[in-house]
Parts: sequence; structure tokens; C-alpha cells
Amino acid sequence: MVIDDDPDFVAAMTAILRSAPYDVVAADSAAEAKGKILAERPDLILLDIMMDGLFDGFSLCHSIKTSKEFDAVKATPIIFISAVKNIAGSRFGFKGEEQGMIGPDDYIDKPVAPADLLARIERLLKK
Amino acid sequence: MHEPLILIIDDEESMRDSCSQILLKSRYRVETVSDGTAGLLKIRDLRPDAVIVDLKMPGISGFEVLEELGRIDPRIVAIVVTGYATVESAVEAMKKGAFDFLPKPFTPEELRMILSRALEHRRLALEAEKLTREKKLLEDNIITMVSHQLRTPLVAIQQYFEVILSDIAGRVEDEPKEMIRRASERLTGLLNLINDWLDLARIDQGRLLGKIKPLDPGKMMRKLVEFMTPAAKEAGVTLEWSGPDAPDFKALGDEETLEQVFINLISNAVAYNKPGGRVRIGLGEESGFVVFEVQDSGIGISKDHLPLIFDQFYQVSRSEGRKRKGSGLGLSIAKKIVEAHNGRIDVSSEPGTGSTFTVRIPKARGEAEST
Repeated sequence: MVIDDDPDFVAAMTAILRSAPYDVVAADSAAEAKGKILAERPDLILLDIMMDGLFDGFSLCHSIKTSKEFDAVKATPIIFISAVKNIAGSRFGFKGEEQGMIGPDDYIDKPVAPADLLARIERLLKK
Repeated sequence: MHEPLILIIDDEESMRDSCSQILLKSRYRVETVSDGTAGLLKIRDLRPDAVIVDLKMPGISGFEVLEELGRIDPRIVAIVVTGYATVESAVEAMKKGAFDFLPKPFTPEELRMILSRALEHRRLALEAEKLTREKKLLEDNIITMVSHQLRTPLVAIQQYFEVILSDIAGRVEDEPKEMIRRASERLTGLLNLINDWLDLARIDQGRLLGKIKPLDPGKMMRKLVEFMTPAAKEAGVTLEWSGPDAPDFKALGDEETLEQVFINLISNAVAYNKPGGRVRIGLGEESGFVVFEVQDSGIGISKDHLPLIFDQFYQVSRSEGRKRKGSGLGLSIAKKIVEAHNGRIDVSSEPGTGSTFTVRIPKARGEAEST
């Protein structure tokens, strides 16, 4: 499942994921994602940290991993995708953890290199 | 919106009653208490819009109430009433933050007038405060919003390029592929420019000051050298850390932005180096400052360029007709960060031999804490 507010970015990601091949569902906001995650039960979530200029990816990730509402899907691996330098913490680890946030299973910077993305997904799905 | 709440603090029952009646008629909400201690409790509890306080009361005096009121919430306006109206006590009360002074006896009209002026004063002050707060929030957010809006379409374009280049959407011939690769590189340059511009704007806002604390400069630099070694190796350049690993002094800095400064300096030292060259990273202390050095064995910078390299958008290589992919903002960001730390950055250079960048950051005072 791809969660990102930019339809073109979603289209490009979908092309990469279908080539693997994986089935893809998309949501363009944290609110839409909440319903779809429970309905579709994806095997893995690609989550944009910053949608509409808000860091709501952080809180969505935190709710999926910790809240009762998402108890049934809390083991779903999450990969953060971010175009914001340093925020995904690709340099020295996930910085949100310092503020008590539950982090993702992996993170990757935009633009995403297809081979790298597919390798990371495969690694998480094997677990 | 509620009617304004007025608290009357006076030990004379007749005063409390008459004031209440006057104010209730003017549709104010009124609370009364008979001494300063109870008055302060009510102020903390109810946060009234205005307080009318008698100066001379048994127990806590009106002056003390005024002083404490200023600490609880200086936006609550205070009007002082007193029977022994002297210039001295009026001046004293105003000094302690009273809005105005009402000598007994006064007419209902005088009370109403003075109160309505006081409340108008409070309304304007609150409004100004709200506007300042909103403006600040808008300024903080606008940079983040604009950069998000600028970046989002560029990233989407790059993502499509990635898909095309990896032949996922069908095989692409070599020549168009090369063109797309170049287009993608130009986009990366533009994205870097936006990121750098965002950094510059953020440092301008002086956000840094609150984040400055004592940090271990040896630990920070060791980590950075380790982090940057693979990229340097790829460029055929050796990074040398000349220590000390465990210095007995600390720098007063914000680790995140200082890392950015040294990543920038070390990247430059690698990029402008000669094949097989080296970069020495050193650390020391000197009269209240921690001194960091990044010394390269590169092409050097000529005397004409030296004074200009910290200017925004200035690139030595551009003026010498060489192609570089930076935004031209790196060193001006570094300078701005260092200066926001009350430090300084200097450069010395010998064309053909290499350049040395020296960064001085204030030392943390007192005992070096262990981390």
C-alpha cells in the first residue's frame, strides 16, 4: 500500500511495485489510509512522512504500531518515504524516536531508486 | 464572548457594594473579596479582565497585590483606589504596573470611564499579542509550506525518470536515456538549491539559539569522518583524523547544524582535491574557543577569490569555467551557522598546494561533563 498525497508520485511508485510484481493500493491522505489499511490488510506500507506540508506520516505510523484500533495490523512493516533531507534521519538514525515516537521498519529518500526499493521490500517481507 | 470580569479587592464593605452596583448596572461581571490574599487566589483562579484594588488594607497591601499580579499575568489591568490620595502613592502604584489611579471619593461616572479605558487598553494589548503570535506562526510555516510545494512536483518528475531509466515502463534507447539522466541531474541540482535555501532561511530565523548546548567535539568529528570516509575513498581521497579522540573540553553548539557545517567543508575538501590527495581533520582549543580545522591538499583558492567564497551563490569553479553541481550556498550556510554560534570561520589557501578552513566555536565553561 502506498500512502502519498501526490498522484504522480503514487503512479510512478505503482509502476515500480507492479514490475516486481506486487499488488498495489493507494491512499492520498492519512485519513483515507486509516480506513484502507483495515479493509485491505496490506503486507507492507510505504508511507510519505510529509503530506500537505504536515508531518502526519509520523503520527499515522505511531498509531498503526501502538493503538488499539490497528491492533489487527500492527505487525505490518512500514517504510517511510521522505523528500525532506535529514527528517527521515537517513544520516544517523530515526530522529523522531528521541521524542518517544515509534519509528518505521525502514526509510528511504525520494526520489526512490527502483532496485533499492524492491530490495528493501523483499527484505522486510521475508521477516 | 463573555462580559468583562472585574475583581474588586477592598476591605470596606460599603466600597465593595457600591462599586459592584455601579459595575453590574454597566453589565460587567463582578467578583468581590475583602483582602489581598483572597484577591490573589481569585486572580489565579478566575483570571479577571481587570482588578480594582484598594491600596490600604490590613494584611497584604495593594502594592503587594500589584506586584504579584504582574507575575501572575501582566495583561490583567489594575486600577488602584485609595483614600489617602498622594502623588507619591499614585506614582508608586503606576510604577508597579497599575493602569490608572482613582482617588476616593469618586463618582460612578469616573469609575465607569476609567474602567472602560483600562479594558480598551487590555483589548488592544491582547489583540496586538495575538497578531504577533499569528505572524510568527505564519512566518515559521510559510518556509516549510513553500519548500514542500516547490519540491513535491520536482520529486514526482524525478520519480518518473527513475521509472523510465530502469526500463520498467518499457525499454528505452541509450541516447534518450542519457538525456533523461542529465535532466534528472539538473533536477537534483534544483532540489539541492531549494534545500539549501530552506536551510539559509531557517538560520535567518534564529531558531538555532535555543538548541545550543555543550557537546563533545571529538566524538562529533570522529563520527563525521567515519560517515564521510566511503565517499572520499570513492573520489580517491584519504580522510585523516588527527584527533584528539577524547578532548578534555566541550564546544557550545547545536550538533545537527555543526555536522552540516563540517559535512560541507569536508565534501568541498574532497571535491576540490587532486587524485590521491588527502584531507586532514584536526581539533584543538585556543583562548575560549574550540578550533576545528579541515585542511586539504587540493587545487587551492587564488587570492582574488578568497574574500568572496563565503558569498551566496559564489562558486570558484564557475568563474574558472569548471562544472560543479553545488548550489553555491554551502559555504554561506556554513558561515551563517558558525556565526549564529558566536563563532567564526576563516580560510587560508595556497593555489596548487591546498586550503585550510578553520572554524572557531565558543568553549563550554566549567568542568567538561562526561557523556
